[in-house]
Amino acid sequence: MSVRYFEDIAIGTKQVLGSYTFTEDAIMDFARKYDPQPFHIDREAAARSFYGGIIASGWHTIAVFMKLAVASRESAPADQRRAAAGVSPGFENLLWHKPVRPGMTLTYSTCVLETVELKSRPEWGLVKTRIEARDADGTLIMSFTGKGFVQRRPRK
Amino acid sequence: MSSEPRYFEDFHIGQRFAFGHYEVTKAEIIAFAKEFDPQPHHLDEEAAKHSMLGGLSASGWHICAMTMRIVVDGVFGKAESRGGAGVEDCRWLKPVRPSDVLRVEAEILELTPHPRKPLGFARMQWNVFNQREQVAMMINTPIFARRDGP
Repeated sequence: MSVRYFEDIAIGTKQVLGSYTFTEDAIMDFARKYDPQPFHIDREAAARSFYGGIIASGWHTIAVFMKLAVASRESAPADQRRAAAGVSPGFENLLWHKPVRPGMTLTYSTCVLETVELKSRPEWGLVKTRIEARDADGTLIMSFTGKGFVQRRPRK
Repeated sequence: MSSEPRYFEDFHIGQRFAFGHYEVTKAEIIAFAKEFDPQPHHLDEEAAKHSMLGGLSASGWHICAMTMRIVVDGVFGKAESRGGAGVEDCRWLKPVRPSDVLRVEAEILELTPHPRKPLGFARMQWNVFNQREQVAMMINTPIFARRDGP
C-alpha cells in the first residue's frame, strides 16, 4: 500500500495526534495578537474576572490542533500518510467545554465520523472527523467536527 | 448600527454591527502558518499556485484568529463579555490572500437569557468580507453576555 486515499479511510478510525503544554507566555502571546480580552492577557484583570485567572483563547486551543495534525501527518510512515489533503471547507459543533489555564497539557485525538463522495469534485472526497482535546485527567476540554478534502484514488 | 452595547439587555434580535479594517500581509500569513499550520499552500507562493487554493492563502485558523481580533477591537472589547461557548458552524468560502482587507458584519439571530445566572446567550452570525465584497468566511456562534442588574 502506498499513500492513503479517500477510499482507504475507514469510519471509526482513531488517532492520537500528540500533546501540547500551554505556557502562560504562549497564551498571552497568541492573545495579544488575536484575542486581547483581559482574561487572556492581564493577570490581575483575569484574577478578578469570571474565570479567576488567565485562560487561553479558544482560537489558540484550536490552532494547536492544526499544528499537531500537520506534525502528525508529516511524521507518519510513508504508507500511512494521506494523499494530498489539508484544504477544508470549514468545521462544525466547536465547543470549548472547560477553560485552558497556564501549564495545562492537552492531548488531541481524532476519530473518523463520515466519508462523503462529492459529485461536484470527483477527484476529492470529504472526510468528517470528531476532534477532541483532553487534559491530563482525561477531561474533555474542547471538541469539534472537522471537515477535510482528501484525494480519491486515481482511476486507471 | 448600534454603538457600544455592554449588557445582554442592550442587544435585540436583528441588530447588526459592522466593524474592522484588517490588512492581511504575506508576512503575517506565513508567520501564523509556520507556527500553527505549516502546509505548503500557506507558506510557499510557488507551491501554493499548484494547490487547490490556487495561490498563497491564509490558514483557515488564521482567518478565525484575525476575525476574533476584529470583533474584540470592535464592540465586544467594550462589552461585558464572558467569552464564547463555541461555534455551531464555520465555513471558509473564499481564500484570504496577501493584501486582502477584512471586515466583519455581525447580526444577532437569537437571544436567550440564562435561566438562573446573570448571563445571556446571543447567537450571532459573523460574515467576514474581503475588499471585493465577497464573504470569505461565515461563522455562526453563541456568545455569553452579562445581564445588567444588581
